[in-house]
Amino acid sequence: MSENVIELEHVSFKYKGSEEGLLNDTSLTVTNGEALLLTGASGSGKTTILRLINGLIPHYYQGDVEGKVTVAGREIAKTELYELAGVVGTVFQNPRSQFFSIDTDGEIVFGPENIGLDPKEIQKRKEDVVEEMHIGKLLGRSLFELSGGEKQSIACASVSALLPEIILLDEPSSNLDQGAIAKLAEQIRMWKEEGKTIVISEHRLWYLKNLVDRVIYMDHGHIAHEWCGEEFADFTPDQIEYLKLRPLNVPDILSPGCGGDCDCNGSCKVDLSTPDPAGGITLKKFYFSYHRNPYLFWKKSFSEDDSNLSLCIPRLVLPKGAVIGVIGKNGTGKSTFLKCVCGLEKDCRGIIECDGIEYRGRKRLAFSYMVMQDVNHQLFTDSVESEVLLSMKEDDKERCDKILDSLGILEFKDKHPMALSGGQKQRVAIASAMAADAKLMLFDEPTSGLDYSHMEKVGQLLKNLASSGNTVLVATHDPELIELCCDYVLCIENGKLGYMKRV
Amino acid sequence: MKLDPRTKLYMILIVSAVVMMSATTPFLWAVRIIMTLIPIILLVIEKKYTSAFGFTFLYTAALVMTFCFLSESSSSFFKTFVTGYSGIVVQFMPCLITAWYVVRTTKIDEFMSAMQKMHVPDGIAISLAVVMRFFPTIKEEYSAISDAMKMRGIALGGGNAGKMIEYRMIPLLFSCVNIGDELSAAAITRGLGGKVKRTSVEELKLRVSDWLLITAFTAAAVVFVLFKYFL
Repeated sequence: MSENVIELEHVSFKYKGSEEGLLNDTSLTVTNGEALLLTGASGSGKTTILRLINGLIPHYYQGDVEGKVTVAGREIAKTELYELAGVVGTVFQNPRSQFFSIDTDGEIVFGPENIGLDPKEIQKRKEDVVEEMHIGKLLGRSLFELSGGEKQSIACASVSALLPEIILLDEPSSNLDQGAIAKLAEQIRMWKEEGKTIVISEHRLWYLKNLVDRVIYMDHGHIAHEWCGEEFADFTPDQIEYLKLRPLNVPDILSPGCGGDCDCNGSCKVDLSTPDPAGGITLKKFYFSYHRNPYLFWKKSFSEDDSNLSLCIPRLVLPKGAVIGVIGKNGTGKSTFLKCVCGLEKDCRGIIECDGIEYRGRKRLAFSYMVMQDVNHQLFTDSVESEVLLSMKEDDKERCDKILDSLGILEFKDKHPMALSGGQKQRVAIASAMAADAKLMLFDEPTSGLDYSHMEKVGQLLKNLASSGNTVLVATHDPELIELCCDYVLCIENGKLGYMKRV
Repeated sequence: MKLDPRTKLYMILIVSAVVMMSATTPFLWAVRIIMTLIPIILLVIEKKYTSAFGFTFLYTAALVMTFCFLSESSSSFFKTFVTGYSGIVVQFMPCLITAWYVVRTTKIDEFMSAMQKMHVPDGIAISLAVVMRFFPTIKEEYSAISDAMKMRGIALGGGNAGKMIEYRMIPLLFSCVNIGDELSAAAITRGLGGKVKRTSVEELKLRVSDWLLITAFTAAAVVFVLFKYFL
């Protein structure tokens, strides 16, 4: 039972052309049927270990590998990737980029087809997996219309269909809401019961603490600490904070029972007193629907009585100078809400009122600024400085320097934005928002996939923005972030205002 | 109605060949228009009403323009422009419609097994499949980038056409490269590109409808060539 299925012997790795090693002289053994959690800051080598096990290093990502990796009796360096397909399965971080098919059925059978199984056997495996995971209702659909959680379920199914003995998960919960994470945890538990060996790299710890047998803490390419599962589950918040990890327990504001992504059905008592309209930003008549009747010549504006509204907010007062967390399940209308508020959905004719001035239509675009989840989409120029200047009506280099300095990215002024790290890119986007003089700043999931110290930085940044007079709306699934920086929580349920309460 | 991917590819091939030969007589025009109508009808059968309507509208408009308002003696900049535009639409639209129909209605799985049955090398089949997989991704990425540009008020590139394209293309290329990279990694960990012969659960069979369409398109092509060059 306790034979070693994964063995890393004194392994070091660095990418081609890079000076710094991502992994230094690391040895690790995983026994059959064990569930192992890898955690630690971004860039500490977690993903590198997973890639060494599934063979992407050295077969896909090239670099200098020293030492020996053996998985299920095969030496990885001498094994072709396709031979590993039936042995090691990997669930990746980003649900939208791990699909090869465009329909769900095709995706589940994709792996078994590749390894040349008999079509009858493939059909049987598909039926088994679908039954086991209860995903019958997802069959026959286009992958592009599924929510993040549903996509991740299909990704798990497609790995399961290959019946691998080892399953690797690389930050699988990054883009998921709490409900979807609970499903993922259930899936992992099921794999564990089936006796599969599981290695998970993850920042979010609360859903894993009672699932894993062993926890490894990585730091700068080394294994810094190692604990057994029970020991780790009993860690005090102080210990966790010292290690710069995300908390083991999610704060009560979001935990199930009281609004845990809004399942409370109004049973929880919350302070619903809305702020004084005079000192706030009032949103009026925000109606929007994705399901509109086909039209030919004119567009009808939406009203409160329309059926099938994706967003229906007759009136809402946002307190000025506060950080407001926007919560709700995946696909319940958080992103739609943000897009409508900042005026990107032209068909939403909502009005923003602030200091007695009304902003309608395109004016809303100038009043607000959204920092998107994927910041790569909103960086256009070839240097950080010109990126910020692009947002200003008149070029003011002095002010630009000041903004960059306040965000701590002045030293990258002449660098290409795409050459920066994820967190730095996010700051560049925030700098352009500040340069554009936006009063209302919207953030769509700014901390998905970030480790705790980066999350802390983002939280601090949001607080600073608010204290300098901006109003910040941040859509998030991270209870930790809400605890760090939010003054209010705004809950969206099926496109309607659930509640708004002070934290 | 389900068609075999091979039939669909054959349709593209024939339509592409026919649009490369110019129609000179009313009869030839009629043949060509009928060939264009078939994929439109197929789109309607697949319930893709919007695109079917859009294509019909554009194609009809361009046809009407070409025949009723323009002649060889049309001069002036505007007329030249319209002639050029309708000419291109009338000439190449049939191809576009057929290709659209094929891309929208073919599953990647079917496509791969069709390629295999036709003994196309894996390298080519996989590349083509990835291209098909990428269309919806590009659409998603493109609309996200357009949103970002609108928000920053640079949707028109400050009136500079070069900038307008540059601002769109740079983020698009970056994210497509990233997605492509992650996509390949995910696909090869599941055994794509191995030496094992790939199997498929989609059983491909040429049905009556396939044979009907193949016959219709072959006949149309033969009639077109005969009447244009030999009669």
